[in-house]
Amino acid sequence: MENFENHIERVSSAIEQWLQPDNYFLKEAIDRTVNEGMFSFPDVKHRILTLKETLRKENLERWARISGLRPGSLSGKQVLCLHAGNLPLVGIQDLLAVVLTGGTYLGKLSKKDPYLLPTLIRSFKNYQLMNDAYWSTNLEKLAGNKADAVLFAGSKKSVIKVNEKLHSLKIADPDTPRLMRTAHFSIAYIRDNKPETMEQLTDAVFRYGGAGCRSVAIVVAPFHLHSVKCTFTDYVEAFWLKNPQHQKPPESLFHRFAFNKAIGVEQAWLNVFLIEENVERPTDTFILYWMKGGLEEVENIIKKYRDGLQSVYATGDLIGEKMVDLIAEPLSEAQKPPIWWKPDGIDTIEWLQKQV
Amino acid sequence: MISHEFIFNNELSFEERCRRVFQYQAEKNPVLNTFFEVFGLRPDSKVNPDEIPLLPIRAFKEMPILCEGLKPELVFKSSGTSGMERSSHQIADPNIYKISIEKEFYRHFPANQYALICHLPGYRQNPDSSLIWMAQHLVNIDPDGLNTFLPDDPDEFYKWKERVQKKGKKILLFGAAFGLLDLAEDQQVEFPETTEILETGGMKTHHREMTKSELRDTLSEGFGIKPGQIHSEYGMCELLSQMYALSGEWFTTPHWVRVTIRNSDNPSKFCNPGEEGKIGIIDLANLHSCSFILTEDRGVMNEKGDFKVLGRWHPENLRGCNFLVDQEI
Repeated sequence: MENFENHIERVSSAIEQWLQPDNYFLKEAIDRTVNEGMFSFPDVKHRILTLKETLRKENLERWARISGLRPGSLSGKQVLCLHAGNLPLVGIQDLLAVVLTGGTYLGKLSKKDPYLLPTLIRSFKNYQLMNDAYWSTNLEKLAGNKADAVLFAGSKKSVIKVNEKLHSLKIADPDTPRLMRTAHFSIAYIRDNKPETMEQLTDAVFRYGGAGCRSVAIVVAPFHLHSVKCTFTDYVEAFWLKNPQHQKPPESLFHRFAFNKAIGVEQAWLNVFLIEENVERPTDTFILYWMKGGLEEVENIIKKYRDGLQSVYATGDLIGEKMVDLIAEPLSEAQKPPIWWKPDGIDTIEWLQKQV
Repeated sequence: MISHEFIFNNELSFEERCRRVFQYQAEKNPVLNTFFEVFGLRPDSKVNPDEIPLLPIRAFKEMPILCEGLKPELVFKSSGTSGMERSSHQIADPNIYKISIEKEFYRHFPANQYALICHLPGYRQNPDSSLIWMAQHLVNIDPDGLNTFLPDDPDEFYKWKERVQKKGKKILLFGAAFGLLDLAEDQQVEFPETTEILETGGMKTHHREMTKSELRDTLSEGFGIKPGQIHSEYGMCELLSQMYALSGEWFTTPHWVRVTIRNSDNPSKFCNPGEEGKIGIIDLANLHSCSFILTEDRGVMNEKGDFKVLGRWHPENLRGCNFLVDQEI
């Protein structure tokens, strides 16, 4: 079995090759992704630049140590990754977890993001890291490939459908271990409206159209929305100049704005986004809920909406503090998570090594 | 001020009555005035009923919805059984509710043919229930004095049954789904096989959530009556009108109500027949509160314009990635 250092070195080299500016395959995949309207160029660019930072060799080593990686621990085991995401390369961490553990990757690529991930797989193949991998945007094409574990993001409602489909395609049976992530929004707690904070908040809320599970859907601040409305919208407009919002909200958002106005809810209407001083369980995209409050209110919201909550972010000395059962992450990292971040609080490598 | 004779006058077109009610509410109801204004509508705007935006029903949970200068004589509140905030409907003119109840109920269940027996155990604990008020009103106005609530004592029930049979009337058992199921299970009292049932309320029972057709089958079996003898009522505390579905699941509307099925992504758009959406209601009987309501109920319409209630509209979770897996497999 290959030793730890060599394995990480090889994975890291493959990633480095993939991220080379002259990688024709990646460039072509980006062009197709943008030209076919799947994601905007600024969103893809941000994602790639972020990965350049987070996928450095030392970060891979750190993740490997944190998770207790044993290279080759999943040798001979097949892991199905069901990629479905609303930001570019959303399943990359699952792919890396399979490669690092030496498992065989079975990938159901997202129909909304079919070009980018295969260019990384290609690079891994060049380094003999994924010799037996199978992937397709069509799950049927993976039929008969019996998986030893399944990784995906889903909901209680979707899990039955997913299970039935995997069973019917002879990919997984009811006993196959599956890691399903259900979190779909995050919270930010800010204590000032300094430019740095507001810029970080803007990125945390509006990046990728605010649709990711790490995107902030609720802000708790010690001031009312109306006192920062003008300043905040200036930051948002500046952000949109560089990163125009790719997806447009449904008309029902305008109806919501009209309703809020009728019942006197403080709000900021941004044509493609709505900020309102009110807190509900965040289910819709394009809405940011604002609440005046402090740590107590943050903890109450965490308790109330814990089942759908991904992360809580803070600034300054609150980073790293425990809030209910969550450790506050830096607001600046909402859209730039380290590679060792744990979706739904579970380390994927650790889970795979334990369950498979 | 518009009189109730105006809204119940079916010699006037629905459009004409609706336009007048829109003008009145856009002018006198501050919530609607602001709501319509966002859509560029003013009280003097010339609008067709289909162009009037519908106010989300949760407005009744947020604040009083009443035209200026009026005081509520009655306040109806929803049961709040789901742990949610309760809706509150302020009624300035209870006469409108009385007329609305009588006109539509007797259109389907004439007073000279039916004796009503109400079984609304869960609702009786809610003194502000519009359903209980309706049932009590139907009991109060019955010329034969036969309409009643189901007594606890079975002997009382059998005496009542005899009186009904002597009068040559049919029994109409009116109750919420869960109470009727319990009643069928208990078998404390026996109803004649000519009994008709009018079920109302949600499909969420003490036992489990069931579809309307499952409910109808269970009631038919439990009471030993034909499915065709089971009818449904659709109403809520935010509405002063009721809709009825006779011998089936398709509801019709009184002439002062218009129901449409709206696209949840764009409530200004209508769903085609057969397409599911949110139930939108224009109820002119809500004269002094709000006649233009978008419910949180899921419904579908047929080619004839009758509609079916399919349950609550559960919002899709559109954030994060977890909703996308359905589209991928």
